[in-house]
Amino acid sequence: MAENASPVAAIYFAILGIVTTAFGLADLLVSAGGGGFSYGILEVPGDIFRGGWGGLVVLFAGLFYLSGVRNFDDIHQFAKIVMGSIMIWIMAGCDIFAMITESIPGGEEGPWFNTLSGFIGTYAPPYTPAVILLPFSLVVIYYIHQRNSSEG
Amino acid sequence: MTLSVDERWDLIDKISRATVTFGEYRHTLKDAIGELTVKPMTGVPVAIAILYGFWSVFGSFAGTLCTDGFFVKLFDGYWLPWLQGVFPGQGGWLYSIMVDAGGMQSGKFVLSDNCFEAFGVLTSGLFVAIGVVLPAIFIFYLMLALLEDVGYMPRLAVLIDTMLHKIGLHGYAIVPTILSLGCNVPGVAATRILETRKQRFIMMTLLAIFIPCGAQIGIMQDVVPDLMGWILLYLIIGYFVFGYILNKIVPGRAPEFLIDVPPYRRPMLSNIGKKVWGRIAGFFKVALPFVLLGCALVNVLYLLGVIQWLGDTLAPVFVGWFGVPKETAGPLVAAFLRKDLAVAQLSVIEMTQYQMITSVVLVSIYFPCVATFAMMLKEGWKELIGAIGVLAVVVFTYGGLIHLIGILLGVA
Repeated sequence: MAENASPVAAIYFAILGIVTTAFGLADLLVSAGGGGFSYGILEVPGDIFRGGWGGLVVLFAGLFYLSGVRNFDDIHQFAKIVMGSIMIWIMAGCDIFAMITESIPGGEEGPWFNTLSGFIGTYAPPYTPAVILLPFSLVVIYYIHQRNSSEG
Repeated sequence: MTLSVDERWDLIDKISRATVTFGEYRHTLKDAIGELTVKPMTGVPVAIAILYGFWSVFGSFAGTLCTDGFFVKLFDGYWLPWLQGVFPGQGGWLYSIMVDAGGMQSGKFVLSDNCFEAFGVLTSGLFVAIGVVLPAIFIFYLMLALLEDVGYMPRLAVLIDTMLHKIGLHGYAIVPTILSLGCNVPGVAATRILETRKQRFIMMTLLAIFIPCGAQIGIMQDVVPDLMGWILLYLIIGYFVFGYILNKIVPGRAPEFLIDVPPYRRPMLSNIGKKVWGRIAGFFKVALPFVLLGCALVNVLYLLGVIQWLGDTLAPVFVGWFGVPKETAGPLVAAFLRKDLAVAQLSVIEMTQYQMITSVVLVSIYFPCVATFAMMLKEGWKELIGAIGVLAVVVFTYGGLIHLIGILLGVA
């Protein structure tokens, strides 16, 4: 890995780790309260599965980021960063897959398939914390690629 | 041709010079990620994430998309009304068994308006088999095959090994356990990978009692989605508590195991396809006939008044000991034949949330379904009798304990 890339990357993933951990804690607290929470494009699910179990996964992802930023160049530390991103991808992937499965059928009383506006409407905000974190977690792919090319 | 010792060593040197590359091995990212998923500190959070993904995709695909999205509409909106119209002899025995058991209102026979309540072989039986179980086991086995092919399952086995040793098993026991979440029948067959009779007995008993099959999970996901977490929590606690007790009282050995953890690999589509197809075909051959037969038998027993009689006789136990309403006695007795249909029957009975949790947990830990029963018999009648003995004790103690917890919490 290029030497000058590490400080920037370490700072980036440290910030991402703090935000991810905060989102994970928010997930857990909101689901412990029993109701969902929505603010702008963010929606924190309140059910025990997505908020509780899912929140725990987001929290772990944040902790992976935070524990991986120190000595970032070491492969084992870098693997923690990658693992944090993979956990975000699992969470966001599941949320997006849930949106897809909801968007296709036409509903109980409706036609077999959803209307075009209903289909598109399913993908409108608000989004879960994992979906919001998804684009920021993808940055890790750049560093994986950079590491691979520097190792030849 | 016979080689001397020196000649053998020369040959070994020659082969190794030609095939082995010597040098310093540098850990790759794949190696480092592989290590992270095996070490408990980092491996457990990863396992929690992967299992979350597993169940999330399961629920979205089987529940939201297939069953609720299309099959409920197909079966309730088209198949059921069509069959109710064309099948002759409405209100008769054959009609009740094959199409719709219906109900009586003011002395008149009233048809059911959905397949959960019809209980006919061609309506509820087919709906459960095709509309609920098929999508559930398809996505379940697809995800399982994917995890196996990627190389995650051996890591999960290593990770959970210490915990499973506490209940007399080892890491490989995760394979029959997870397989049973699809269908108990291949799960029971997979207990053969365990070395000793003690391990096989413990595993088989725990599978039969505490692991709900895909059909049951599919129905639970559909009719009591909000209570799934609590129900599964009670089952997981029971799995480990009674496993621990069984390990202490069942004589025999519980040896250590050695496992080769392969590197992570890109999954092969052909491999996954073959595995999924093989398992689904196996389910259709072994378990599906029992779904339809079980449905018919439940109806016959209902029509003969056997389940009503058993329900009335056992009602004091259900109400007094387990704390569930009297009406649940019928479905709980019928659960021997079809656990999934019993859950569906429970969902239409009026009761508190805690009573619903207790009832569904009781359905799960109650007698294994007929197909599993037959499979256990194949593994040995002594094991089967032993498992039934354990099961009877577990149902009464654990069922009573759940009631007691409810009383202490003030929710029962």
